[in-house]
Amino acid sequence: MRTEAIDPPGIDWHRVSPKFVTVRLVQWALGNLAAVVILSLPLVFVLLEWWRWPPLWLAITVPAVTLVVALWRLVLIPRQVRAIGYAERDDDLLVRSGIFFQRTMAVPYGRMQYVDVAVGPVERSLGLCTVKLHTASPGTNAHIPGLPEAEGARLREQLAARGEARLAGL
Amino acid sequence: MTADGRFPRHGMQEDGLASAGPAPAGSVPAASTAAADRAGPGVATPDDGWLRVHPASPFVRGWVALAAIGFFFGRDIFERTLQGRPMFEDGFAGRVPWLVAGGGAVLLVAVLSFVLTWYFTKYQVSGGYVRVNTGFLFRQQRQARLDRVQAIDIVQPLLARIFGLAELKFEVADAGESAVRLAYLKIDDAQQLRATILARAAGIDDDAENPGAPAPEAPEYPVLSVPPSRLIGSLLLSEQSLFVVVGGVASVVLSAVTDNRAFYFYLIPAALGLAASYWNLFNKGYNFTAAISPDGIRLRYGLLDTQAQTLPPGRIQALKISQPPLWRPFGWYRMQVNVAGYGLLDNAGEASSRTTLLPVGKLDDAMNMLALVLPDPGTSRPAEVFGAGLTGLDSDGGFVTTPRRARLLAPLGWRRNGFAATDTALLIRSGRWWRNLVLVPHQRTQSMALHQGPLARRFRVADLVLHTTAGPVVPRLMQAGLDEARALFDEQSARARLARKRQTTEQWLRQVAPPGAEPDSQAAETWPLGNEAHQQQEGPQHG
Repeated sequence: MRTEAIDPPGIDWHRVSPKFVTVRLVQWALGNLAAVVILSLPLVFVLLEWWRWPPLWLAITVPAVTLVVALWRLVLIPRQVRAIGYAERDDDLLVRSGIFFQRTMAVPYGRMQYVDVAVGPVERSLGLCTVKLHTASPGTNAHIPGLPEAEGARLREQLAARGEARLAGL
Repeated sequence: MTADGRFPRHGMQEDGLASAGPAPAGSVPAASTAAADRAGPGVATPDDGWLRVHPASPFVRGWVALAAIGFFFGRDIFERTLQGRPMFEDGFAGRVPWLVAGGGAVLLVAVLSFVLTWYFTKYQVSGGYVRVNTGFLFRQQRQARLDRVQAIDIVQPLLARIFGLAELKFEVADAGESAVRLAYLKIDDAQQLRATILARAAGIDDDAENPGAPAPEAPEYPVLSVPPSRLIGSLLLSEQSLFVVVGGVASVVLSAVTDNRAFYFYLIPAALGLAASYWNLFNKGYNFTAAISPDGIRLRYGLLDTQAQTLPPGRIQALKISQPPLWRPFGWYRMQVNVAGYGLLDNAGEASSRTTLLPVGKLDDAMNMLALVLPDPGTSRPAEVFGAGLTGLDSDGGFVTTPRRARLLAPLGWRRNGFAATDTALLIRSGRWWRNLVLVPHQRTQSMALHQGPLARRFRVADLVLHTTAGPVVPRLMQAGLDEARALFDEQSARARLARKRQTTEQWLRQVAPPGAEPDSQAAETWPLGNEAHQQQEGPQHG
């Protein structure tokens, strides 16, 4: 994995499973395709001459733009999935994500309040899970999606054990 | 019998507070309360330490319901009298028994529920826990660990104040409702209970010869007060007033242009809302005084409703000092804090007043409060560093600012946006017109993140966000140079790690500071009140 400018140097990032692309694709299809279909309805009605408004150009432009944006997002998905990474350091867990808007987060083990493992229907069928870390701050929005189940369980146990060893108060 | 089954609140409280770690202490007190509960209501005598709130409190709390009943039955008669008709219509006599019976029944149910609520509400402070039992149909038994206290407030709404009563709120870090609310106690009892809780929480044990003896109130030393004239001035010159002036001018122009007089009617609700908002701010900020005691910072304020807050040492997670542009000629500052227990309260107005450490104050006041929050500034020249954080530009006081190459991203603020780290806290300053200084003690850093968007990447800058508990302060370092931001990210992780190791216990009077944590005596000389405040915290003044 390429080290981006804001990442600390010398980190060996773990990547999430490539199968997570499928999960993202399903999410993409549910969200964007539905939006495009709904926004195309006026076009159909105008072509069938059921509706007088909106004008034809508007009825074409709106779904077309939506479709282009949706396709753009589709193209980005594999790269976005590849950009998700995590690394266990001695005292904190690093989580990174994003290509255009990058984020690198450090969550100290001693500050973790609890660790969640969540599995959705699509993830379950692919044998994936999502690990979420929570500290006392609502700003800590550390999700590691698309982990193989075994790796997710290992990470959870590892984080819990390290959190206990380095426990700090608030 | 499982402790969990009988104490549904218990698990939640512990988890919210005790971090992810083991909380073996939870099981023992749970069992002891269970034993007390098994013995039935017969044990609920003051001898066991179970106490009840003041008998009048349900009526003080429920006066609205009583007033509504009175209004419902009184309105008809009152209207008739006004209209000059006979007070009772014909055939009224036939309905009197029904009316009296109905009204009496409603009143009886209300009073009975009040009495039952009062009877079944009991509280106890012992063994390092505060316990409250409430409810008679749906019972709730709640306990909270005393050393997890984040803040204790004594609140007196106007009506309670008239009767000499007060509500005590015990806050723990779950950022929801208050963990323990006792409404209402006699004001003396409330203060006594607060002193007891704080003494136990600080780690002072029960007197061996006389267990359960009330702890003496910790001595306190006044630090500052806000005169009403300054409060009024600050309200008139606040951001809100700026919007009022702009909105007023806009509406006058609009009505002149559109020639629409009815327009003004729409402004009446807005004006009423504004008046209420100003009144609320004045009512809450009136007679604001701050004091320091071994138990922490004490704040008192309020005109009609009064409130007394106690923030034990080390409970402030982050602090912000801000100055709107109109306050600058007067040199006024406002201070807000994040405290884990205050979090996101249901009532926004209440939350904003409780998280205000100083509604308006001069530079000296701000520095004094800063010294209370951070007894050890972690630098040998605190006045210079913090002064530069408040008003400085460029590299004054050792601040590292946005590099010149990124000045297009922040054409006004690039000389202000910056950070400085002392041994105990990270300072983040921003804003050329709206000046802000955010301060996060290293011990309180939760997690942090670097953010970089495409534009920032083009200019080789990045934002650093420190995550803290919910509250008005959101520490974000804007547009720091890439290398500086990355270095800070690493250094801050290390500093937070060291600070966590140094922090030993939450029972602040038992805190054993290793040699490295001693305050710099040099710093204490120039740091206002720093020396005094620290010594107070070291001496066992509870007697």
